[in-house]
Formats: sequence, C-alpha cells, structure tokens
Amino acid sequence: MKPGGMIDLRQAQELFWTLITAPEGVRPAIEDLERRGVLKGRAIDEMFTGDGTLPAVERLDIYANMYFYRLLDCLAEDYPKVRAALGPAHFHNLVTDYLLRHPSEHPSLRHLGRHLTRFVASHPLAVRFPWLADLSRLDWARADLFDAPDAPPLSRDALAALPQERAGEARFTMVPAFVVLRFDHEVVRYWRALDEAESGGDPDDAAHGRATGNAAREGAEVPDTHDHEEGAGRVATPARRQSWARVWRKDFVVHHCSLDEEEAQSLELLRSGESIARVCQRLAAGRGVPKATERAGRMIQSWLDDGILAGVTLP
Amino acid sequence: MSPRDIADPQAARERPPFLGHGVGLRRDHFDRVLSGPTGVDWFEVISENFMVEGGRPLDVLTRVRERYPVVLHGVSLSIGSTDPLDEAYLDRLHALARRFEPAWVSDHLCWTGVGGRNAHDLLPLPYTEQALDHVVRRVLRVQERLGRPIALENVSSYVAYRRSEMPEWEFLAEVARRSGCGILLDINNIFVSSRNHGFDPRTYLNHIPPATVWQFHLAGHSNKGTHLLDTHDHAVIDEVWGLYRGAVARFGAVSSLIEWDDRIPPFERLENESQRARAIHDETLERSAGRRPAGVAGSARAAGPETGP
Repeated sequence: MKPGGMIDLRQAQELFWTLITAPEGVRPAIEDLERRGVLKGRAIDEMFTGDGTLPAVERLDIYANMYFYRLLDCLAEDYPKVRAALGPAHFHNLVTDYLLRHPSEHPSLRHLGRHLTRFVASHPLAVRFPWLADLSRLDWARADLFDAPDAPPLSRDALAALPQERAGEARFTMVPAFVVLRFDHEVVRYWRALDEAESGGDPDDAAHGRATGNAAREGAEVPDTHDHEEGAGRVATPARRQSWARVWRKDFVVHHCSLDEEEAQSLELLRSGESIARVCQRLAAGRGVPKATERAGRMIQSWLDDGILAGVTLP
Repeated sequence: MSPRDIADPQAARERPPFLGHGVGLRRDHFDRVLSGPTGVDWFEVISENFMVEGGRPLDVLTRVRERYPVVLHGVSLSIGSTDPLDEAYLDRLHALARRFEPAWVSDHLCWTGVGGRNAHDLLPLPYTEQALDHVVRRVLRVQERLGRPIALENVSSYVAYRRSEMPEWEFLAEVARRSGCGILLDINNIFVSSRNHGFDPRTYLNHIPPATVWQFHLAGHSNKGTHLLDTHDHAVIDEVWGLYRGAVARFGAVSSLIEWDDRIPPFERLENESQRARAIHDETLERSAGRRPAGVAGSARAAGPETGP
C-alpha cells in the first residue's frame, strides 16, 4: 500500500466507513478488526490524529454518533407514529437493525426509509407488535406523497360538462399524490389516537410537514382494544381487522382517512380504468341501483372535494 | 460564465456577483418568507431537498426565486469519494440549476460515502497530493457536466489524517487554483476546526487567495468541552464574528450567509444575524477604503502554530 496513493485513499475511506457505522461503536469495531488481523495495534493512532484531551478513537466516535443520530432523526420524521407507538428504545433498536441491512444508498435522505415498511414486516418487533407493518405503511405513504408530482385536480365544471346520458361511461384518473392502502389492523384509528396523544387532543396539529391533515371520516365500529404499555403509553393498540385508507395531498398538505371496503374497491376499480357504470354495478349488488347510484354520487363528491380526481374521459 | 470557460481554470477566476447578505431557506420559515418583504438579500437552499417531483418545497422555491437571488448548496456531491461520481445525481443537479438559475452552485470539500452508501455527513479527506489530484479531476468533471464552475466549502472536522502532506488551507486553495472552482469559506468551520486541531484560524484565512472566495458561511456551534461541534443550532459567537471581520478585511465584498439548521428560531432572529453580518461588512470595508489589507489581524484567537488538520 503506497502512502498517499489512490488505493490508500480508498482503503482509508472504507476503514473510516466501517468504524463510524459499526453499531457497537468505534472501539469495539477496532477490536474486531484487530482480532481478524485487519488492523494491528496502534494502527488507528498512527492513522488519525488525537491527543490526551481527545484521542483518535473518541474523535472517530463523534462521526459515529452523528452518522447514527442524523439517520435516526430522519426516520423518526418519516415514521412519526411508528416511533410514537414503539417508544424511543424500540425505535432506536429498529433503526439500528434497519441501517445495517439498508444503509442509505441515495444522495437524499428523503429515500432513507423506503425499505422500512418491508423490513419491519419480518423484524422480531413485528411479532410483539403485529400492527407494526401496517402502521409503518401509513406513515411512509404520508411521507412519500409529500413531494409526489403535482397535478391540478379535476374541477366540478369539467365533471358537470359530461353529457348526462353518457356519464356512466366516464372514467377517472387520479392525481399522482394519492394511494389506497389495505391493512390487516385498524391502524387509521390508532394513528389518530397516537396523534391526539402527542398533540394534546387536537387532530389539526398533525400532518406531515407540520401542516394540517388527518381525518377519519368513515365511521367504523369501535375495535376491541387493550392498553398499550410501550412508547404510546395508554393509547389502545389496533385490533386485528381488515381496514382501508386513502392517503392524498391537497394544497401541498398530506391527508389520510379510513375507507370502508366498498369505497376502497370502487377506487381500485376506477384506478384500473373501469367506468363509473361498472362501479355502480358493483355497488348495486345487494342494495339496488338507486341506492348504489346515490352512494357513488356521495363518493365522487368527496373525491372531488379532496382533490384526488385529476381527469375524466369518455371512451 | 460560459461553459467553454470551464476548460480553462484561470478563465473561471472571475468572482461571481456580490449578492449581499442572506440566510438559508428552511421549511420553518416558508410562510414568513412568502408573506412579504424580508431583511435579507438572498437565500441559499439545500439542493437535495429540491430534487423532488412536486409538493410544497418546489412551489415555495419557485416563488422565492421570483423575488430573490438563490444559491444551490449541496451536501451529497461527495467530491472526495473514491466511488465514481453519481451521474444520476449530477443530472438532477443540472436540471435543478437550469430550472432555478442560481447565482452559483456549491458543495463541500469532503466525501460523504463509499461503496455506494451515503453517511449523509461531511467526512474529512487526507490532504495528500494524490487526494488533491483525485479531487481536482472530479471538480473539473462536475464543472464540465454542469456547464459552470462550482464553489467548494471547507468543512468542520474532528479528526485528521496523520499522513496529510499539507494543511487544509493549502489543499483547498490548490483545488481552487487547479480546477478554477470558487471557495465557499465557512468562517465558523474554520473556527471549529482550529479549536479541534489546534491551529490559528487567521493563518487559514491568510493562505486563501482573495480572488477565489465567492461566499462566506456564518453559523453557530456547540462547545462540548473536549471539542467544538458544528451544530448550526446557535447564534454566531463573538469570536467567529471577529474572524468574519478579518475575513471581510482580507477578501472584500463577499456574499455572506447565515446557516441555522437545528432548533430553528423565528425568522426575525436570522434576519438580525444577517443584519449583523451586513453591519460588520459595511463598517470594515468603509474603514479599509483606500487601504489594501495584507492579512488578517483580528482578535479571534491568540496566535498559534501554523499547522493544520
């Protein structure tokens, strides 16, 4: 290895990286490298500056701490309710495990948490907290839509301009900042309870980017609950029950609300390119056409209000 | 400056326009900045935060850009990394620069990751001839790709490499000389590193060629007892203001920028910090009008050995 040479620079950077990202800290990482014969005694002191006040190992530890806590803070911002539900200790351990498996590979921290929803599904914490994967998907969807592409929402006038006799043939497109999520647990209600616990009961204080949002307008039965003893204190954890949510951004603010199965299916049908008539047909099963049409009208009205429809076309 | 100037580092020596005194644009202040006039002249934004497809930050930047000069300041160029340059990142940076037409584009003299991984931290380089060649080659490549010279900022550091062959200021000045890039001189970082490594911050300033300096950064830091940490969560301390005064005397009219990234106070506090930078700048230049400053003789720190990180 030539002093000052490029190979040396590469090796120095790889060593630096290994030391500052070691989950146990710099000193244990050095000891491990020494045990494996990668480093010889005093190599670190010969490589890096240090003194009696601040030895080289402690100087490297400054970087190690900054590495971990910067990424921890980023994930806490993108997964606020996962952190609130788990509490700081469990969240810290989750992030430690996650970063070992998924270190940042993107220039922007915005993408750091993109694998966490899948990661938690197979993490040991998911056994103890079976709703964790669902809650993480809701948190991430909110973070992800924050800077999704812009699109003007469909206007009422554009919808009203459709020929009445052909309205059933119409097909909607959705704005890019919109997603429907299906859960195995009642996490929308839980998300709101966590939020109210954090903000002292005012749901308007909570949304991504400190904007307002969050509404759980679709009523559902009160789930079976039990008090949760982890980070969220006395907030009741979500029951295991299939549920749905839609997440969207309107006027640069991310919102979400719970859905019933009918609305979730209707949205999925429309997203797959089906017509309004096909949606009404599905809704009519068991309730008749007039009520199905009325329900479809209410849903379309709320989608217009929320700005999730981007366009309407006739074949 | 035209793209063809980039091929000749000396042709790129022209200092960009003086923007006055600005602050970093942060999300906490979006509403305040858009609500009406401010007491600052320009804004610096973190490039990566705007490499997105839509949403409020891009909308805010569009509106801010209509009223103010803007500088794109990146944190992930990783100019010193031994990984290949990230072409996709350069594409995004190029697109952002074309869209917002910043006064200039800057990043840091450091590396941020290796092996395709990113620490999102500004990690120190060994100051060797080989590292110098490596960095200069990459700066030239980036400048060619962006069609404009860039500015590189000195970082705060907490550890240095014993095999460094020159002090940081010499390395930085040489990168600028060979590549034609500008220097974003972070006065607070000089102060922080001077304490952490035991050198005189005035020595640092005195070895930077005035024509290469495009911008100053000013920020607060935390005193951890054994070291100073560049936290950007406090007001600028008096000793750093003193060093800044010396820098203005040496470098002349250079655009200044207040950074405040954590425990962010109301915007008015940043305006006050920026006003202080303006007052020191104006007073120093008035006082030195007609005289040519030869060096920095401020009271930032008692003279120490001319050794560096």
